[in-house]
Amino acid sequence: MKSLDVRGMACPLPVVSVKRALESAQGELQVLLDDGAPRENVRRFAEGRGFQVQEEAVEGGFALTITGAEKRQAAASPERAGASVLLIGSDRLGDGPEELGRLLMKNFIITLLDLAELPDRMLFVNTGVLLTAAGSEAIEALEALGNRGVEVLSCGVCLDFFKKKETLAAGGVTNMFTIAESLLQARSVVRL
Amino acid sequence: MVKDQDYVAIFNSIHRVMEAERLLKGKHLKILLIPAPRALASDCGLAIRYAEEIRGEVEGALAEAGLMPHDVYKKNGDQYQKIEEES
Repeated sequence: MKSLDVRGMACPLPVVSVKRALESAQGELQVLLDDGAPRENVRRFAEGRGFQVQEEAVEGGFALTITGAEKRQAAASPERAGASVLLIGSDRLGDGPEELGRLLMKNFIITLLDLAELPDRMLFVNTGVLLTAAGSEAIEALEALGNRGVEVLSCGVCLDFFKKKETLAAGGVTNMFTIAESLLQARSVVRL
Repeated sequence: MVKDQDYVAIFNSIHRVMEAERLLKGKHLKILLIPAPRALASDCGLAIRYAEEIRGEVEGALAEAGLMPHDVYKKNGDQYQKIEEES
């Protein structure tokens, strides 16, 4: 049985790590994690994807045993293999007044939380990274998406350009190699 | 985005809700402009979310500025309870 130790990791890393491990795990996966938000988020994420979860208190946290098969994968046709990616290249949605564009982009991100099927990955580039940095009103929604297994990644060069590298507040940093690879290997890309 | 016991003020005009947001943020009140929850508005409505602790300040400032929302709801568990105007 494959095992994973995510104790001490900050949200949403436990969910992201478990998601990655489940993609390559055959059979069971055992996860050691902290009580509280990591335990709840990982359980909710795995059950939401159709896995069975058993938990057991262990020294220094909890051990979750995740078994079964992801429902979405089992039902998916071969052409649906690969990730669905959202490429967010601006902090505004659509052309027009800046204030309206910013409001629409924030609303779009908040509305994703109401959808049954979420993107696997959200890539933020150019002024899109202003949405993942401190002070953005999308942070709360992006954290919630991260806790539901959506990988939130911001372009490091872009964060650097806007002097936001130290204030990234949701998700992780990525580079152009990963961005290019994600886009070319994705089953679907939606660009905003 | 709306937690148990939070308040949600629904506005039917984007200009009014944006004006309300500017007003409340100018007073450093911790509010968030969100899409109106689907259970409460079928059109493209917008809402301002705030916590019970600042309810008096938020609603007082809106009333003073003539920016009263169309409806105010409080979230109770999974349900939204409409707040009737106090007479």
